[in-house]
Amino acid sequence: MQERYAYYPGCLASLSQKELDSSTRAIAQKLDIELVEMPSVTCCGAGDIHEAKPDYYLHISARILGQAEQMGCETILSICNVCTLNLRQANKALQEDAALLNRINDNLKEVGAATYQGGVDIRHLLWEVSEGNGYEAFKSIAVKSLEGLKVAPFYGCQILRPSKILGFENPDNPQSLERLIEACGAEPIDYPAKVKCCGFPIVLAREDVALGELVQPLEQAVEAGADVIVTPCPLCHLSLDAWQRKAADFAGKEFGIPILHLAQLLGAAAGIEESEFKFKRHVTRLSPEVKAKLQVPSAIGTEA
Amino acid sequence: MHDHVSRSRDACYVLAVVRTPAYPAVYVRGTAARRLFPEVSVIRHDVIVLGAGLAGMRAAIEAKRRGVDVAVISKLHPTRSHSGAAEGGINAALGNATEDSSDSHAFDTIKGSDYLGDQDAIEVFAREAPNDIYELEHMGAVFTRAADGKLAQRPFGAAGAPRTVYSADITGHVLIHVLYEQLIKHDVKVYEEFFATQVVVDEGRCAGVIAWDTKSGGLHAIEANHVILATGGVGRMYYGTTNAFACTGDGMSLAWRAGVPLKDMEFLQFHPTTLKSNGVLITEGCRGEGGYLRNKDGDRFMVGDAPNAMELASRDVVSRAEWKEIADGRGVDGCVMLDLTHLGWKKIKSRLPGSRELAIDYAGVDPIETPIPVRPGAHYMMGGVDCDLWGETMVPGLWAAGEVACVSIHGANRLGGNSLMETIVFGRRAGQAAAERVLEQGDTGARIEPGVLADEDRRIAGILNNDQGERPGALREELAKTMYDKAGVFRTEEALAECQATVHDLRERAQTLRLDDHGSVFNTDLTNALELLSLLECADCLVTSALARKESRGAHSRLDHTERDDETWLKHTLNWCDDGEVRLDYRPVTITKHQPLARSY
Amino acid sequence: MTEIKNAHLTTLKGAYDTELMEATLRIRRWDPDTQRARFDTFTVTVPVTASVLDALDAIKDTHDGTLAYRKSCRMAVCGSCGMRIDGGAALACKTPMKKFVDAGHTITVSPMGNLPVIKDLVVDMAPFWEKIRAVKPYLDTKDEEVPDTEWRVAPEHGDMIHKESLCILCGCCVSECNSMESDPDFLGPAALAKAYRFVGDTRDTDTRERLRDLNGAHGIWDCTRCYFCNQRCPKGVDPRDAIAKLGAESFKEGFVRDEGARHAKVFVDSTFKGGYLRETELVPKTIGPVNAVKDIPFALQLARAGKVPNPLSPHKAKDNDEVKRLWKLLEKEAKGAERPRAQHPDAVREG
Repeated sequence: MQERYAYYPGCLASLSQKELDSSTRAIAQKLDIELVEMPSVTCCGAGDIHEAKPDYYLHISARILGQAEQMGCETILSICNVCTLNLRQANKALQEDAALLNRINDNLKEVGAATYQGGVDIRHLLWEVSEGNGYEAFKSIAVKSLEGLKVAPFYGCQILRPSKILGFENPDNPQSLERLIEACGAEPIDYPAKVKCCGFPIVLAREDVALGELVQPLEQAVEAGADVIVTPCPLCHLSLDAWQRKAADFAGKEFGIPILHLAQLLGAAAGIEESEFKFKRHVTRLSPEVKAKLQVPSAIGTEA
Repeated sequence: MHDHVSRSRDACYVLAVVRTPAYPAVYVRGTAARRLFPEVSVIRHDVIVLGAGLAGMRAAIEAKRRGVDVAVISKLHPTRSHSGAAEGGINAALGNATEDSSDSHAFDTIKGSDYLGDQDAIEVFAREAPNDIYELEHMGAVFTRAADGKLAQRPFGAAGAPRTVYSADITGHVLIHVLYEQLIKHDVKVYEEFFATQVVVDEGRCAGVIAWDTKSGGLHAIEANHVILATGGVGRMYYGTTNAFACTGDGMSLAWRAGVPLKDMEFLQFHPTTLKSNGVLITEGCRGEGGYLRNKDGDRFMVGDAPNAMELASRDVVSRAEWKEIADGRGVDGCVMLDLTHLGWKKIKSRLPGSRELAIDYAGVDPIETPIPVRPGAHYMMGGVDCDLWGETMVPGLWAAGEVACVSIHGANRLGGNSLMETIVFGRRAGQAAAERVLEQGDTGARIEPGVLADEDRRIAGILNNDQGERPGALREELAKTMYDKAGVFRTEEALAECQATVHDLRERAQTLRLDDHGSVFNTDLTNALELLSLLECADCLVTSALARKESRGAHSRLDHTERDDETWLKHTLNWCDDGEVRLDYRPVTITKHQPLARSY
Repeated sequence: MTEIKNAHLTTLKGAYDTELMEATLRIRRWDPDTQRARFDTFTVTVPVTASVLDALDAIKDTHDGTLAYRKSCRMAVCGSCGMRIDGGAALACKTPMKKFVDAGHTITVSPMGNLPVIKDLVVDMAPFWEKIRAVKPYLDTKDEEVPDTEWRVAPEHGDMIHKESLCILCGCCVSECNSMESDPDFLGPAALAKAYRFVGDTRDTDTRERLRDLNGAHGIWDCTRCYFCNQRCPKGVDPRDAIAKLGAESFKEGFVRDEGARHAKVFVDSTFKGGYLRETELVPKTIGPVNAVKDIPFALQLARAGKVPNPLSPHKAKDNDEVKRLWKLLEKEAKGAERPRAQHPDAVREG
């Protein structure tokens, strides 16, 4: 974990998933991390621009990486699986192919944009606080032990695979979320679908197929007795949270399991102000019982 | 009553199996069959191709193109065939890299064969090769290209000019896929995962094939006017072999039993660079790109046996040199070292990526940094089913092409890159000739009689239901070690005689093989046992022929007869099947332009 | 009998010497007769260099000959031995046993997913082959005159389909495909990678028809981007990347009617206009206004939670004119670009 990052929240955290942004800023402050704003960045492309116009995707990625570089930041901090994979994938291509990088830089120069020299890394908040000094730092601020809270970790896809781009941990048996859940004093729940796909990339274009995927982690987490699901990706969060009702109808079951952003779980253990979590922005409400287990102030004193 | 009925949409001979320990079978044919199973009719094709590797698929595509009803029978899905493991390349005198001619290609092949190859066939082979390459490319084969967009050609062992067309070091993979694509394009019928147990001869004519349906069990009689054998080689006779598990000489055994002699079986090529752990092939292309062979002292020992060609001498020469280094104590842990470290990572990653992956996976070394330990392994059977240069055998209606066949193109030793070309040239020719014969003659009248099917069923049932005796795997291992130890690169009378005695003993013991699996569905215990029987018959032919040939020629190297003896031995060995015993015979070699010369590299 | 010179050369001493180890495997069996599954655990002695396939062979030879699995080359080129090892598909011949033995771990071996099981580790590959056939997996040069020698293909053009041409049709990608698990009719990563192998082949001239077929239901836009295929492929084919390339080719050829393509277009348009994704446009532009209206109750649910951003003030990045200029520049560049084509040798000779 470093002291200073270029902060790349991504589109969803800036818009429909604003609660992720506020929670992230709050936990960053507690961890004494400086988040340098990047006001001029665009969407990372979300894999869609990569698919539709691959060369354009490389250009906007280089521009984003170049901006971080010019601000003197070696590392971009991301809080979304999709941003992480897309920026890292572009970064790898740009770092490995000098001719490609030169051509792109020429174009960026021509339009007056920042060029990129290949010196930036992109790391997800999950990676920074789940090992090494970051893990120690988090443990030291995790003043509240969320004992009794059963948390099912949902990794999703693009923070794990392909491992030759991401490479932080074993994609078949990751443990970073489990370590953090334990550091929060809570109990991690294991279930097979924790590394499978939530379906978000096709939830609009192929809703039925996506729901067939989405029901699996929801079903399994609920059956295993989890109180909440935690995820490091705002797109997975949107699927699991906002599409939960549709998934329930598809499966003919009730789920009713609230979904937490990683920063919210960490924040709860760190005793952060509830207002930062913006739980009201969740479609699947947190019940008073869950709030009590999260030990958020508004729940304290409430009948469990 | 019909617990399990084995039938095909086109089956006239229906095998109804009643599930009792004695496994009796009921055969229904003709009008009775049609009454009981109205949707069923005769399985009959004009041409059956047995085997779906390069030769088989090329033959089938050719026959289909010429408008005959052809079907392929294969014990594996086509793309699983061993042709796909070929690495280095396919030869043709295109003249893309340097000046070249098919005469030069022919001469190199003749010399490489140690003058045992039939020169009329070799001339046809070399002459037709270039057009076959262009046709493969038009079909879509993905070859490595030179800067001008033409097909690249690399140097290979014992070739006078660089004429090996290649795709990095996965040429076989690329070719097997392009032919499979053409098989789909031409909508060729494939009986997939069918294991042929007999080639039926009816009154002297080939009548078709009896095959066991591995997926659901049961024997099928599949009649045909012509059967083209394209079943590949028999490397699994040996412990150290580059060959897949499936290379068990089934087609050679089928032809032998059907009355076709096997030819030149003593000539089994050992590839110089195979891995010790599992025999996997490291392509000659590594040496073609400049790799060296070193002994434990770091010396390039090839300078002794082949001062001009060095590592790119003919395979038999290199294998002997290596075997000697190892046996004389100058090896490293039973191997010599294939050194690619001076080639640089760029060349290795672009031209030899497959070899690098194999070395990492199966020898635990990265050839960019470390030499690869290698030793000779059984690789290619120059011998095989006796046939002419159209693939026709002496049993009318029975043909052969590819490694299973012995035309002979390769004589006593094969050049690298010639085997892939052989499959295409002679697969095409056999497909063409069989198709033309169909168009000329039509129905040959040969049939598979119910009694023949019944006998075969009894034989297979006998093996299937047996639970006494030894396991097939144990006998297979014993055979393989005996062959590697006593019929390997260097042979003596004594060792071969011992080997022959063991092979005969194993053939005896293989009459009672203990199977664990007596079921019908996907019974690979059964197919393993059948493969063992093929291996043993081929081994018997090989050892008997080797014992008899008292000279050294090509891959057959006798320590007690070290010279080549053209006066007595410039002839092909034939092995007839006399009721399961090997009977030797001989036939002259066809010489056209090139009288035998001393052979050195 | 006279002493033969060099008689010691017949046999290589120590040819079979190898260190051995004990390996334990837990295997999911499927009995086609009783239609029941069970787990059997075996311990076998194998060489330290043994692969999972070698261990299966040892089991079959010495413990239980009824164990059924496919194999052939044992060197990761034929594609026969795909199976799930600890829940993820891999080639048994390419998976060394030693690392499991050293870790004291008993692996669980089961058949590949997304395909019917015939017996034990043998799956019915027929649905797999059907999907390969469905993408017209052979070169089509259509009415082009067949040259008398080879088509001229520039090495860098040949490289475009290098990864896709490595595919050995093993099925490991299909086994783990999350989209196919939810929709068995999805063409899937293997068929789509094979499709790109032809779309990207500069000799093939059937590009538009191929893309038209792939842009339909169960095609390119059904991929859920779980990247399991890239992760599991033993040959580095990267099928997901091939699917993305098919998407790019579809855009180049103007096939943008599928909802998936429209979805992608919103990202392109948003980013180059305003910098951030215009989330409110995403739904109607992807699924169309009629379907969007049908989904209003759902939208209201999201709106109640504040998840529908103000459509009238899209979030713009600072210095956005830069991005608009970049767009114009790239559009101009793209207009000039021609689809790479193989050259007819006659054209080269004349030219």
